[in-house]
Amino acid sequence: MIKSKRLRSFAILAALLMALPVAAHHSFAMFDFSKSMTVKATVKEFRWTNPHVALLVEFSPQPGAPPEVWSMELTSPGNLTRGGWTRHSFKPGDRVELVFNPLRDGKHGGAFDQATFLDTGQVISSDLRAAEKPGLQ
Amino acid sequence: MRQNYFEWILIASAVVGIGVSSPISAAAPTVMNPPPQAKDWSALGSLPDWSGVWTPNITDQRRRVETDPVPWNKAAAAEIAKLEAAERAGDPKGLFVNCLPESMPSWMLITHNALEFLFTPGRVTILGESDGNRLRRIYTDGRGHPADPDPTFHGHSIGHWENGTLVIDTVGVLPETYIAVSEAVGVPNNGELHVIERIHLETPDILRDDLEIIAPRVLTKPWKTSRFLFRQRARKYDIVEGVCLQGNYAEATDAAGDAVFVPVPQTEGGNVLPPSNEPGKP
Repeated sequence: MIKSKRLRSFAILAALLMALPVAAHHSFAMFDFSKSMTVKATVKEFRWTNPHVALLVEFSPQPGAPPEVWSMELTSPGNLTRGGWTRHSFKPGDRVELVFNPLRDGKHGGAFDQATFLDTGQVISSDLRAAEKPGLQ
Repeated sequence: MRQNYFEWILIASAVVGIGVSSPISAAAPTVMNPPPQAKDWSALGSLPDWSGVWTPNITDQRRRVETDPVPWNKAAAAEIAKLEAAERAGDPKGLFVNCLPESMPSWMLITHNALEFLFTPGRVTILGESDGNRLRRIYTDGRGHPADPDPTFHGHSIGHWENGTLVIDTVGVLPETYIAVSEAVGVPNNGELHVIERIHLETPDILRDDLEIIAPRVLTKPWKTSRFLFRQRARKYDIVEGVCLQGNYAEATDAAGDAVFVPVPQTEGGNVLPPSNEPGKP
């Protein structure tokens, strides 16, 4: 089930751009940050690799449609570690509600925004700019 | 006559001999790096404390492009305008998707990753993260630049301390490396790049790098700008190894049961795609 919405306000878009998970080796402009997709998905693979961590998930784009595998991109393992992530943050089979911004070209990829584990309710997200001050714990 | 013949043989032998041996015999005397003494290690204690891990002010990196506009020359400005338009249109050029180093000065300008400083006698070393080649050696032992340095991604850097400020002079950077304002907007320096930096603690936990970038092939005048880093001491900020090319592969087990890396499909822009998007596969 895909929930897609257009964000009408430039201010909201700007705020999203400020919060997006940035990465070192390519721009994230190929993702459509005016479009947020929310899906219930099953984790297939979690690749804890530089320069971008990748989360592969499977979900049905429409009710009754055959499931598809999509790839979600994040920042680097080092940056995620500081946000409390580990290479075990996701494991195959985890059921999550996933929020992401899709690739503009329609390919099956997106920029990870947030995930909620369906069995525990735990929410996991990433905001690199939260580290823009010294002496963080 | 016979004597002249032998003289010519001797002369010819000498010429050949010189020709073979000249790379060694004609070279400047070998300079030996002196072993550091206890006083050299002690002297490090008088330098400012740059320990810890430093994270960049990314928001300010973007802001500085507006407040400290780059004096691109006409040709570079035209390229930059196209790249900016492509990024705005959602089709960014991936300047670094080949995983070559961001290099100098772009590492200092646009990094989103942490770095650290190591002080040893006669040298400051900067180590980065996310890309295994992020490493700068800055010689502070009084040497000059080589007369004709082999061009490298981070160039040849010499430095000296002025009170608490490390002044770094960098030359010998490969002309193909970018002067970038983002991962999608920048042009090659095209040669003759010279970077002067003054790095100092602006506050006890904020490090400021004032850069003067001299690139006569793409800039009309030196570009002066600054970048800022935040000190972190929490152990979770420790630098971790990062190899950019690893992202081009996934971990798998082959038919022999060996753990191996296998290529993963990616878009031209460097986005990881699921296996179903691999060309030629369902």
